[in-house]
Amino acid sequence: MKIRFYHLFLPCFSVALSLFPAPAPAVSQAEYTRTVERYEIPDVTLINQDGKRIKFRELMNSGKPVVVDFIYGTCTTICPVLSAGYTNFQRKRGADAAKVQLVSISIDPEHDGPAIMRKYLKNYRAQPGWDFLTGSREDIDRVMKAFNAYIPNKMFHYPIMFMKAPGDETWVRIYGLIGTADFIKEFEKVVKK
Amino acid sequence: MISRGGFSRYRRQVAVWLISLAAGAALCFNALPSAHAENDLSPILKGLTRDDVLRMGEAMYRIGLLPSGEPMQAVVMGDVPVEGTMFTCVSCHLRSGYGSSEGQVRMPPIDGTRLYSPVSKSRRAPLVGRSTGGSEELYRPAYTDETLASVLETGIDPAGRRLNTVMPVYILSERDREIMVYYLKYLSTEPQPGVTETTLHFATVITEDVPGEDRDAMLVPLKNYISNWRLPKSTERGQRSSLYKREGTMKAMRTFTLAVWELKGPRETWREQLEEYYRKEPVFALLGGISTGEWEPIHRFCEDHRIPAVFPITDYPVISETDWYTLYLSKGFSQEGEAAARFLHGREDLSKTPAIIQVIRDEPAGRALSRAFQDTWVSLKHEAPSTVVLKRDEPIPASFWKELAGKNKKPVVLLWLNAGDFPELKLLTKGFKPSVVFASASLLGSRLSTLAESERGYVYVTYPYLLPQVSKGQRTQVGTSLQNDKVLMTRRSTALKMYSLAQTISDPLSKMRTFVSRDYFLELIEAAPDLVAAPATYPRLSFGTGQRYASKGCYIVQLTGGPNPELIKKSEWVIH
Repeated sequence: MKIRFYHLFLPCFSVALSLFPAPAPAVSQAEYTRTVERYEIPDVTLINQDGKRIKFRELMNSGKPVVVDFIYGTCTTICPVLSAGYTNFQRKRGADAAKVQLVSISIDPEHDGPAIMRKYLKNYRAQPGWDFLTGSREDIDRVMKAFNAYIPNKMFHYPIMFMKAPGDETWVRIYGLIGTADFIKEFEKVVKK
Repeated sequence: MISRGGFSRYRRQVAVWLISLAAGAALCFNALPSAHAENDLSPILKGLTRDDVLRMGEAMYRIGLLPSGEPMQAVVMGDVPVEGTMFTCVSCHLRSGYGSSEGQVRMPPIDGTRLYSPVSKSRRAPLVGRSTGGSEELYRPAYTDETLASVLETGIDPAGRRLNTVMPVYILSERDREIMVYYLKYLSTEPQPGVTETTLHFATVITEDVPGEDRDAMLVPLKNYISNWRLPKSTERGQRSSLYKREGTMKAMRTFTLAVWELKGPRETWREQLEEYYRKEPVFALLGGISTGEWEPIHRFCEDHRIPAVFPITDYPVISETDWYTLYLSKGFSQEGEAAARFLHGREDLSKTPAIIQVIRDEPAGRALSRAFQDTWVSLKHEAPSTVVLKRDEPIPASFWKELAGKNKKPVVLLWLNAGDFPELKLLTKGFKPSVVFASASLLGSRLSTLAESERGYVYVTYPYLLPQVSKGQRTQVGTSLQNDKVLMTRRSTALKMYSLAQTISDPLSKMRTFVSRDYFLELIEAAPDLVAAPATYPRLSFGTGQRYASKGCYIVQLTGGPNPELIKKSEWVIH
């Protein structure tokens, strides 16, 4: 069989392809689900990053809009992205950051004590208004169950976030990881309802 | 239908196309990275040695710091800026670069070998996470230095696909990007000691101070585990499949060996002995092990040689937030001292007591308990307690308590002493009325239940195990099988710890398959689900990235009255 011209051309074509990658597809659309739910907040006392005992039900009804997520300090992927989202949300709100109560609840309460939670918040440049809570395994389980987010083991967790306007009985439940634009959009919908 | 002649012509044509493609690939793709490559640094890194670049790359990969000392900058989810102090490559892809899996997010392996190899649709990559380790990556050509630099900057892989937006897009100078690329190119390409085509070599360390029964209680279950090891049936079936044979992955079905490294003489000579054992027979990891003394020399040896060590039985682990290679069952005595401090801090009626006195003997247990109590107490913003140190064998005269009582009114006393220090388990003599007394269950041992009834009202005991009344109801199959072995029954707690070891490492060992790496082994253990009521010894054993003490709690208990007292919980398992 003869070696044809296009056979010689092919290696060069391959090089050219590697130098000029195909145009990137458009950024994927938001891949999260949003539902509206009602939850019965349990009357438990948790502990924040400063070691203070926090009555959880009172914190959820403190008169501020509330955002809640479930994370743990040594999580590898989901929690860092959720927390970077909190950081950027606070940054975007600037001086008004503390007017929204952001709450992260540890799902690894045996490990996440106040010192670890303080360091975590510092790494994420958390501003006042973002509390990281831990507690006994039983109380943390009660909170997870109340938000219909119970997992028996931290390794089985998934990205989930909850938002509520002050005085409102309903929560917006967001399943999936979201960027800041979507975060702010969903938050504005909650508070302007 | 293809005629014979036509088929032959077709084959020749395909062959020429394949040769052409291969030539193209040879031009496009660098050779697979070798651990011994020299002089392959980019011209932009002129003036730096290979070690410099790997060190700088490691800092970027593991702690998110650029060579300038500034944190790396990146963007995730399209519009969320992140800094290296928040998270960096290691957070998702792990130290080994073998990747992980969380929720619905899968982070593919990015070790040098696999980045610089193409991925076919059927290729299975190992992932740390809740899945069984198998995951299919989409097809992509092998990365080159150029396409790897490009994906860091654009998030677009060599197949032209945009990566999941969870993968940060990094804002790096050209020089820093080259450093990162170089680090990734050689990530986890070093050969792993103690691993051959057919065998995985382990060792266990025993120091000569350990009594024979304790030694056997550790060694017998461990030897049984090693000799009976086999992959779970499902994994074994999978590995016999054509896919695995095609990839030559039957290597995963290695046999295990266990060497016993006995350390003799003074502690100062242990390091030399360990080096000699290791020189003669390099091992992949240390399993179990036991010593009545401090584990520090063995811990250091493992850190220096990057040898994983899982669940040595010791009351004196090294307490460190940064050391990596030894996984302990708990913090030992330190856990009890820390729990006492946190409990006291939470008791408003007691935490303001002006006098807190620790009484210890000049020996490792007392030092570990008192140091942990003091460090925790001070970290909770209290003044340091006073500590009375008794000589190792010095009898305690009656006047000692009188003098102590004379100096302080209603003090809180932490008696970190052995049961032998208290005749008839009466901790205090008449006339000395402290507010409360703390003691250690590990030091009082089996005599705890004989604590004088008159003292049970104000004596609190640190108890770092599953409560007996709970563990009775959780007799495991393992525990039942011990009943047939006299030695193991007399040292049940030690034997059960080795069963916890077996439970902890079995899944990671089977998931490693062909990707045998020390870091990956540890990462798989870190990512394993918690062990709840781990063979009836601890309420929960759990890890996470960087966590090195599996059991994290310690109850504070009091005893009920009567000859067979029960332990009453006075605290949560973990006290914050």
